[in-house]
Amino acid sequence: MDLKEKLISSFWAFENHQDEDSYLHKIRTEAIKSFEDKGFPSKKEEAWKYTSLNSILKNDYSVFPKQENAIEYNDVKKYFIHDIDTYKIVFIDGKYSSHLSQTTHDGMDICLMSSALTKPKYRILIENYFNKIAQNDSLTSLNTAFSSEGAYIHIPKNKMVAKPIQIIHLSTGNESAIMLQPRNLIVVDENSHLQIIERHQSLTDNPVLTNSVTEIFVNKRAIVDYYKIQNDNTNASLIDNSYINQKQGSICSVHTFAFGGKLTRNNLNFYQQGERINSTLKGITIIGDKQHVDHNTLVHHTEPNCESHQDYKGVYGENSTGVFNGQILVDKKAQKTNAFQSNKNILISDKATINTKPQLEIFADDVKCSHGCTIGQLDESALFYLRSRGIPEKEAKALLMYAFSNNVLNSVQIPEIKNRINKIIANKLGVDIGFDL
Amino acid sequence: MLKIKNLHASVADKSILRGINLEIKPGEVHAIMGPNGSGKSTLASVIAGKEDYEVTDGEIFFEGEDINEFAPEERAHKGVFLSFQYPVEIPGVSVTNFMKTAINETRKAKGLEDMPAKDMLKLIREKAELLEIDRKFLSRSLNEGFSGGEKKRNEIFQMAMLEPKLAILDETDSGLDIDALRIVANGVNKLKNKDNAVLLITHYQRLLDYIVPDYVHVLYKGKIVKSGTKELAHELEAKGYDWIKEEVNI
Amino acid sequence: MNKYTEDDLREELKTKEYEYGFYTDIESDTFPNGLNEDIVKAISIKKEEPQWMTDWRLEAFRTWKEMTEPDWANVNYKKPDFQGISYYSAPNKKPKYNSLDEVDPELLETFKKLGISLDEQKKLSGVAMDVVVDSVSVATTFKKTLGEKGIIFMSISEAIKEHPELVRKYIGTVVPQKDNFYAALNSAVFSDGSFCYIPKGVRCPMELSTYFRINQAGTGQFERTLVIADEGSYVSYLEGCTAPSRDENQLHAAVVELIALNDAEIKYSTVQNWYPGNAEGKGGVYNFVTKRGLCETNAKISWTQVETGSAVTWKYPSCILKGDNSVGEFYSIAVTNNFQQADTGTKMIHLGKNTKSTIISKGISAGKSQNSYRGLVKISPNADNARNFSQCDSLLMGNECGAHTFPYIEAKNKTARIEHEATTSKIGEDQIFYCNQRGINTEKAIALIVNGFSKDVLNKLPMEFAVEAQKLLEISLEGSVG
Repeated sequence: MDLKEKLISSFWAFENHQDEDSYLHKIRTEAIKSFEDKGFPSKKEEAWKYTSLNSILKNDYSVFPKQENAIEYNDVKKYFIHDIDTYKIVFIDGKYSSHLSQTTHDGMDICLMSSALTKPKYRILIENYFNKIAQNDSLTSLNTAFSSEGAYIHIPKNKMVAKPIQIIHLSTGNESAIMLQPRNLIVVDENSHLQIIERHQSLTDNPVLTNSVTEIFVNKRAIVDYYKIQNDNTNASLIDNSYINQKQGSICSVHTFAFGGKLTRNNLNFYQQGERINSTLKGITIIGDKQHVDHNTLVHHTEPNCESHQDYKGVYGENSTGVFNGQILVDKKAQKTNAFQSNKNILISDKATINTKPQLEIFADDVKCSHGCTIGQLDESALFYLRSRGIPEKEAKALLMYAFSNNVLNSVQIPEIKNRINKIIANKLGVDIGFDL
Repeated sequence: MLKIKNLHASVADKSILRGINLEIKPGEVHAIMGPNGSGKSTLASVIAGKEDYEVTDGEIFFEGEDINEFAPEERAHKGVFLSFQYPVEIPGVSVTNFMKTAINETRKAKGLEDMPAKDMLKLIREKAELLEIDRKFLSRSLNEGFSGGEKKRNEIFQMAMLEPKLAILDETDSGLDIDALRIVANGVNKLKNKDNAVLLITHYQRLLDYIVPDYVHVLYKGKIVKSGTKELAHELEAKGYDWIKEEVNI
Repeated sequence: MNKYTEDDLREELKTKEYEYGFYTDIESDTFPNGLNEDIVKAISIKKEEPQWMTDWRLEAFRTWKEMTEPDWANVNYKKPDFQGISYYSAPNKKPKYNSLDEVDPELLETFKKLGISLDEQKKLSGVAMDVVVDSVSVATTFKKTLGEKGIIFMSISEAIKEHPELVRKYIGTVVPQKDNFYAALNSAVFSDGSFCYIPKGVRCPMELSTYFRINQAGTGQFERTLVIADEGSYVSYLEGCTAPSRDENQLHAAVVELIALNDAEIKYSTVQNWYPGNAEGKGGVYNFVTKRGLCETNAKISWTQVETGSAVTWKYPSCILKGDNSVGEFYSIAVTNNFQQADTGTKMIHLGKNTKSTIISKGISAGKSQNSYRGLVKISPNADNARNFSQCDSLLMGNECGAHTFPYIEAKNKTARIEHEATTSKIGEDQIFYCNQRGINTEKAIALIVNGFSKDVLNKLPMEFAVEAQKLLEISLEGSVG
């Protein structure tokens, strides 16, 4: 039985336990039909031209974890940003881990999707927001069909959330291969401010396939900063689908740091629905081995006087492949849009590949839109300069690669994240130097 | 030559000029000074006919004709020249091509034939020398990649080419080093004669050491609150604008 | 104030008539509508072709039958009815012309209207011309002068008869029969086109030029151009296109193959002004063209195009940089107005070492038109030290049009250096005011700014064409430009 069939039959086995008349049952069954029609995406589809899922779909994934697994905090502490106080929503093999988590209902809800989907008091919010901006492409539909657990965050208006929230997904490797489908819903009401850190981490080399969907609603004048740290093991693959709906005057930034994993596909979609919205999409990708990272971004400008900024840097070594597919869509009504996109890449190996496709689709005339994209190498003269000052070649190269990508870190608001990323980069480049430039 | 009566103007419903009266006669040099935001650049733009500004009251006469309904290019044809504070870049259009177009359009408006290429080249060479402009400069795209000084020098070069009756120099001294300032001022002075007039708009007195005004006006909150001779400029330089503000507010 | 606004401009654009929209009443020999193997054979027989050519066509036809017509994003049009088109139409009064004096006076009149006087062309030193009306080459000038240098310049039908070894060796080597839907169709039914061969080490002393015109109603034009520059040679080739105004859409599916052997250089310039349809979007030519060049070692191919016509344009003049140190260039201005749709760009395939490519694309959209740049830069694993620079700029006039940029960049070699930049903007009000202040009215100001915007590409055109191209830009955006 291939994975598609397995998922579909598992769905019906699981869904039989559910209340058939419920609001969610209808959404889930429609979603599984959509997945059944479309199947997993193939390279024939324009959006998947440069990324094939074939190699990761072969494993015999267990679709529902058989048992709950416990982990000691000290064993996994290093995967947290542990030097600051944060809320934590932690999942082990897709199940909520209460002893690693720190949630709250004090004036806001930082808790679980499973309770939000089942408890009546959340019902109105779920009906207003759940699955409202997620698209019905095959992978998102698949997630919707299986949606039961993940983070649920609702921040009421005029609230500065003092501590960042960490959403951490751990997998133990107790199953020989596991497929996880977390589903997150984040609603930030007017004038509120929220910071989120997200990480997926497997603790063994057993294959993991995560197909995650996150819907984020940034209401009027709210501010959301989202940091995705992707540094997983080489048998872990991630398809991360994020849908962000922004209202008037809101500011939202998503930083994606992609260093690990076998295959990573980030579908990051911003839908602007109001004036004076600011969206920021930034990323650093540094990969080697046979890793594959694909950033697929969309910013849809629908109203006047909005801005978007995209800045993605990538360094590709060994047999790795990088993909950047960035789309800026400006509707006729969206006059005075300022949209910028930059994608810069360095290839450091003969066998590495970069495919990049920055797209502008513009239907309004009074706009300032631009994109720039480069592929190049490290500056030889700079390298020589550093070496002539006594810095060994490896370190000099690492320093230059860091310098190439570090402007992306400038907009990171939490210093501890910067420190962590710096350490990961040093580690990734195999050098023991601090990058606190 | 220029006569402004009780001029009121606003942009996006915000009133900026609130009753300006000013008369400039042939052969005169006037300077308008004032603190930031007093409406100096607005006045220059309104005289040149920028459509973002709405004239809500008052009149502007140029050579006895009410020019308020005239398009910017018609005002230019009649001899109004504005040296922009921030000259605009036009990629791909060379300085020479631009000047050729401007001169021939102005000639066309006056019912004249295009200027013969030979005369045009001679004129360009002559005026470029006056402003100490390099020939290579003339084939560059208009204002694209020009330094602040080059942009301003180019503005005065265009003024020399077009030989306007009234030249309005809007903050022409800003962004200029002392050599460039000398060249620009020298150019203006050489072009000055008894039949034309200059309106200098400036924040600082510095330019007025080089181009000596006959009259100095202080603009504040959209009105000319004080007029005098060049001595007024020195006084402003020494004492700043605060005393004027106090005087007006009392 | 008598402000000239973009609304006025749009109004003027709408009322503008297609200047070349006249139909010449020439008796012609037109095949019945429809396409099957018999029609393909009949075309081949009509043209007195050798058997290998007939077989080649049939092979292409069989491939085409199995293919489906492609769809593109941002391009919407009513698909042509391939059985509703006549695949062969030729002026039949005198199928062959020995001298210009024998040419149908009506036809000569046509050229006069087009601004091409063959008589004058004869006297002008710069240009040798081949004229293709509907499907047949009607006149080639300067044949003798060129012949003295060993240069072959004639219609491809003649070449098939007179130089079969050259045609057979090269045709379909750059654009194979099965390359794409329209290339396959063209391979099956092409009726004429130009052929050009420049021998080793010869620098062609004049511009070679082909003028294409669709005249007859209900016909498709499928011409095939083959240019071979042998080792160390140079040629500059120009191509111009017009069609009469008609309510129905006419199909133009051409194939152009360029072969630049070692150290050769081909400069290929196009001024395309097929009928774009009227202001309501009715009629106009569907221009689905496959143009591709192959560069051997140290060779260079340069495509320059000014695209102002056609209702729908789909065209990506490409370079396969096979030889080491070879160079590909693409310079394009695409103007769309009213309901025109253009999807154009280039493909630069870097295979050899030290290969270089440059792409400069300028799109100007007005009216309700859609203008897309779609391009591919591909650096293969062996293409060490490949370089590419791409610049795609779009200028929007009015808020009912669209400008889109879809660059695909694929690099598989770490020594590649690629830079791509794209911008989209409109003509700034401050730019217009600046011009106004210097005495230049708004209409003239827009002309000046558009010309400045396009200058990098206009400069690449041969002198003979630059003037015509500029005039076309003006006509296409008439009312504002000129």
